[in-house]
Amino acid sequence: MRTTALSREDRLLLFGLPAVVLVVLAGWCLWRASADLGDIEARALAWDAVGQLALEHVLIVLVCAVLVVGCAVPLGILLTRARAGFLAPAVTAAANAGQAAPVIGVIVLLALAVGFGFWTAVLALTVYAFLPVLANTVAGLRGVDPAVIEAARGMGMSPFQVLRRVELPMALPVIMTGVRTALVLLVGAGAFATFIDAGGLGTLIQTGIIMFRHSILVSGALLVALLALLVEWTGRVMELFATPKGLA
Amino acid sequence: MIAFIDSRWADILFRAYQHTSLVVQSMILAAVIAVGLAVLVTTIRRLTPVANAVSAVGLTIPSFALLGLLLPVVGIGTVPSVVVVTFYAALPILRNAVVGLQGVDSTIIESARGQGMSGSAVFWRVRLPLSWPVIMTGIRVSAQMSMGVAAIAAYALGPGLGSYIYTGLTQVGGANAVNYAVVGTVGIIVLALLLDALLVLLSRFTTSRGIRA
Repeated sequence: MRTTALSREDRLLLFGLPAVVLVVLAGWCLWRASADLGDIEARALAWDAVGQLALEHVLIVLVCAVLVVGCAVPLGILLTRARAGFLAPAVTAAANAGQAAPVIGVIVLLALAVGFGFWTAVLALTVYAFLPVLANTVAGLRGVDPAVIEAARGMGMSPFQVLRRVELPMALPVIMTGVRTALVLLVGAGAFATFIDAGGLGTLIQTGIIMFRHSILVSGALLVALLALLVEWTGRVMELFATPKGLA
Repeated sequence: MIAFIDSRWADILFRAYQHTSLVVQSMILAAVIAVGLAVLVTTIRRLTPVANAVSAVGLTIPSFALLGLLLPVVGIGTVPSVVVVTFYAALPILRNAVVGLQGVDSTIIESARGQGMSGSAVFWRVRLPLSWPVIMTGIRVSAQMSMGVAAIAAYALGPGLGSYIYTGLTQVGGANAVNYAVVGTVGIIVLALLLDALLVLLSRFTTSRGIRA
């Protein structure tokens, strides 16, 4: 990994993000350990309660991320094959209309249709985070120089070998950017899981608003934001490693 | 569903108007702030990567979390909605404005100077028109996003159609829960698509004739 090849913006984010997250998290932990909290706050912000909510949040994000990548990348590959090309305009149109749908509406509608709970939240968030991965998979694969593919075919590679050893590695950085965007969206939308009884750190925000306890509200908001920043940073690091050595 | 829409038509229209008005006003504010900042950071080059990093990080902060952080400061109602929508609306515009302003060929600026244009004339008559299509693309992205953010901000009793979605959620099991949620969600999608179409037109008519595609 050669950090010298990175732009100043990338370096700022790569080193600045974890520093900010660590400092703010340490500050919150210090406050939590030393603050003189009332009964309600102390119960809502008990260490193991917060840990449990954070775990639920991360679990929702991870399950959705696996589902999104598992569905969107194969669909993107399919759409870029010559024989399935006729499908592409319809999928693009549907995806663009879907982009205008507010995430909170998608979650509430699905919950009303199929009931509350963890898997409803997973379904709604998967639908929501699908588009960036699909769009970037298609864009990444389309961006591979046709001459390179032709050269690979000329060397005697089968279409599947071309896909696996040429197209996918070259498209990987673009796909990873889509995955990072999706992960960050998932962390943010995961805060709404609490509305449909699926837990997560959003519970603290909701409790804080309902009980009118600013300390709970701000703790929840802060922790969700920190998780999002941490995920963004992880995504950026993964992107660096995903770039094939020959392209860096 | 039809009876529901029929009986609440006036209220639905009013909320749709509120929603659009919130988004449009916040976006005008956001565009002015973002273009202003972009001018500043493209003039002082050291700040450009900082601005790009800020807009990247800003977009990762979940809107519900920002809303939560704001409530103790500004209270509930319209103010947090305006602040949150303006914040998210400004970020894509800032990024695109920086790219657009940087993309203006420096030889063009030099020849404008050579013709005797002042600094502000160069900005209004050369740099802004040439980067306008890129800025408009950013405005379209941010319009789509703002519609959804405005829906979320309705949780803090902000204006607009988002409140219908939350009403649907709280009335779960009730006769009108689905109606509320559908009208809220579909209404916002329709508004977003309409606003996007309008912005495409606006972009076409405000782009300088010489660089129209």
